[in-house]
Amino acid sequence: MTPAGPFVIAVRTSLLLVVAVTVQLSVASRIEVFGVQGDLMLLIAAMAGLAAGPDRGAVVAFATGIAFDLVLQSPFGLSALVYVIVAYVVGSLQDTVLRAAWWIPSATAAIGSLFGVILYGVFGTILGRDLVDPALLRIAAVVAVLNALAAPLVLPVVRWATDTRDSVRARAIMR
Amino acid sequence: MALSRRTGRSRLTIALLVITSITVLTLDFRDSAVVSGARDVAAKVFSPLRGVAETATEPFSNAWNGITRYPDLERENEELRATIDEMRGERVRDADAAEQLAGLLDQLDIEWVGDIPTATARVIAGPGSNFSRSIEIDKGSDHGLKEGMPVVNGAGLVGKLVQVTDRRSHVMLITDPDFAVGVRLVDSGVTGTAEGTGEGKPLIVDTGLEAGSEVKEGTPLTTSGSDRSAFPGFILVGTVVDTRTGSGGLTVDLVVEPLVDTSRLAFLTVLLWEPSR
Repeated sequence: MTPAGPFVIAVRTSLLLVVAVTVQLSVASRIEVFGVQGDLMLLIAAMAGLAAGPDRGAVVAFATGIAFDLVLQSPFGLSALVYVIVAYVVGSLQDTVLRAAWWIPSATAAIGSLFGVILYGVFGTILGRDLVDPALLRIAAVVAVLNALAAPLVLPVVRWATDTRDSVRARAIMR
Repeated sequence: MALSRRTGRSRLTIALLVITSITVLTLDFRDSAVVSGARDVAAKVFSPLRGVAETATEPFSNAWNGITRYPDLERENEELRATIDEMRGERVRDADAAEQLAGLLDQLDIEWVGDIPTATARVIAGPGSNFSRSIEIDKGSDHGLKEGMPVVNGAGLVGKLVQVTDRRSHVMLITDPDFAVGVRLVDSGVTGTAEGTGEGKPLIVDTGLEAGSEVKEGTPLTTSGSDRSAFPGFILVGTVVDTRTGSGGLTVDLVVEPLVDTSRLAFLTVLLWEPSR
């Protein structure tokens, strides 16, 4: 299959982000588990790191964070900063994984989400929002479980958007 | 060699992205017009998409929330019935007191909140993430709403409008750490500034009262409505639940429980009021 050009990837990624923001605002944020909302945007950032690696994954994660920050009334750029770090860490860790398994996307989504929520809380507190409290751990744990469940559905979409379906990395993630 | 070149490029990419993120954060903290303009455009793009998606998925999300929150809803229903009974009696007393207060303020030429024109709005969306504290209502500039207008409900002050599009607006809640309002203690008339500290947490009021001053627990606070205040006066804000030593050790800060439960809002009233410049 002919690889998609940069323009096609940019269009696909933009489409993914528009749909993802809409789903996050209208569906994920209205379905609460133990008082915690789903976090599709953080999952996309983690899956971008997994599918496209630390380099391209971080760029997609940055765009994801900026798209989300645009529609929230929270510090603009905070989600982007957190997502970039999550995607970079996830992508870098994936490079060190020696064997492939079906559970890797879910485990990565769980760890990436746990890390991402706590990082957001810490950075938010540094910016004067007082987010580090016991509720932060509850949010992190619930988001990690929800994102682990959703990861097998979201990863193929992120692979399609970033055109990494047939890459060596993609084949190494799931067998 | 190839691996180290790739690692170097990755580090450069992440460094650039982190610097860009910090730059936009700084722009936001400086209230840059670029950021607010971009947010306005995003709100206009996503509002209709969100409306369609919410309508399509409403039965599913209602069913989910009905199943997972059924015991809570049942308990709340019982509590609400008891509260309604109590309020029936209070309403009669309050109506009489409000009439007397309005008359007195009229004589003193002070603006009475009951005279301000209002617009009733429905909450159509809660916070979009676990860390966002703003909510969205179904009225916008087409209905006369403007940024900064106060938002209340039957219990008291809910927040203020921070982003207004044609038919929707975002409300910054009173519990948001960026929210601040001038307040007055009802019994003593002492004024101060109340600031939000996060969802489910009390407001902190810096009053300038000397350390050791006593403030009775349960004392109500209203908006101060002083000159150039961002809110009209006499809107109920909360009640004092505790006091603590201020940051310098010389003053007392009040810990105030908001009267409004910001986690359960359905219909709100926007006061079509703008501060005098």
